[in-house]
Amino acid sequence: MADEKPQPEITEPAQTTPRSNGKLTMAIKIYAPFKIYYEGEGYSLSAVNATGPFDILPHHHNFLCMLVPCEIKVQTPDGEKVIKIHRALMHVKADSVTVFVDV
Amino acid sequence: MRRPLEIKAEEASVRSVVSLTSALETLSSMQIAKTKNKVLISNQFFDEVWNIYKQIRVDVMFNYGRSVDETPIDKELLILITAKGGLSGDIDNRLIRKVVEHYDETKNDILVIGHHGALKLKQSHIDHTYYFDLPEHDYVNVDPLMDITRKYAKSRIYYQNYISLSQQEIKDVDLSDVVSSKGRVADLSTLSEDMVSEKTYIFEPGSYAVASYLENSILRLTISQFIYDSRLAQVASRFKAMSAAKERSITNASELHTEYNRSKRSQVDTRLKESMAGLKKLRAGGAE
Repeated sequence: MADEKPQPEITEPAQTTPRSNGKLTMAIKIYAPFKIYYEGEGYSLSAVNATGPFDILPHHHNFLCMLVPCEIKVQTPDGEKVIKIHRALMHVKADSVTVFVDV
Repeated sequence: MRRPLEIKAEEASVRSVVSLTSALETLSSMQIAKTKNKVLISNQFFDEVWNIYKQIRVDVMFNYGRSVDETPIDKELLILITAKGGLSGDIDNRLIRKVVEHYDETKNDILVIGHHGALKLKQSHIDHTYYFDLPEHDYVNVDPLMDITRKYAKSRIYYQNYISLSQQEIKDVDLSDVVSSKGRVADLSTLSEDMVSEKTYIFEPGSYAVASYLENSILRLTISQFIYDSRLAQVASRFKAMSAAKERSITNASELHTEYNRSKRSQVDTRLKESMAGLKKLRAGGAE
């Protein structure tokens, strides 16, 4: 009888990712010096940079990029939020996405 | 002594100055609260961007976002942030005095933001090279100003800084120095974990492009921050000037009122004296 292969143990990551409705979420803040466009939880964020359209999901690698004029789409527990931007800088770190608009 | 009616008319006009300065004082007070709140909110935003910039450019020389092959004008550009109009106290005069002390026609070009500053500069017989209106809206587009700044080897900003409601100061800083000093990190060991590098981050479109973009952003934010600070100092200075004017006009009105009472009493006394004299004369005539 062949030895049973030990099943890999499924463990939660050390850093617990917040969830909403059973889905992984991340903290999202999109703001300009005088205006907060969105601040709260989100399942994903879609935007466009010089390379093309892209999505940010929970557990994304640390990421720093310049956004080109586009519509940022945020999937939130309350539905989709669409924010039109002219120029922005995006910073992603440890399930936290910050978009600095008009910088 | 002046006639009571004349004094009364002057007192009425001073009382209207009291009402006017009082209204302007209230208006300035409201503007201060609004502007101060906005400056606080924007500072939080700026600090977060500064924090990323600090981590990404610890050993990069700031060069105003210029490319390597661009040769700058070998002059220092003086950028003056002043009020758009009068009624802002002596704050613009103080700024212009400071600029005049430093100004050398052969070494400096001047860029003025705000109509009042341009006017005061002209009164000091100095011509400005560039002019912009002081932005009134929250969003300040400083791109045209940055295009000019990039042409010069050095740039110095003269701006107004809010300390308190009663105190505002004039400051001047080298733009390059302020960006470098803010981007400098006091203790590099504190950055070891948070350092933004190609090892720990993905950059798009690339690390150099992002660093260059950030350098421009930081310059843009620095200039915007100075404009917001100056706007706050200007409304505070206007409040101070209006409070002082109100106090002066109240004292003036009170002095005029006393003078009016004195003049009125004097007029009554004179009439009384004249009546008494007339009565005496009549009595003396009757006795004869």
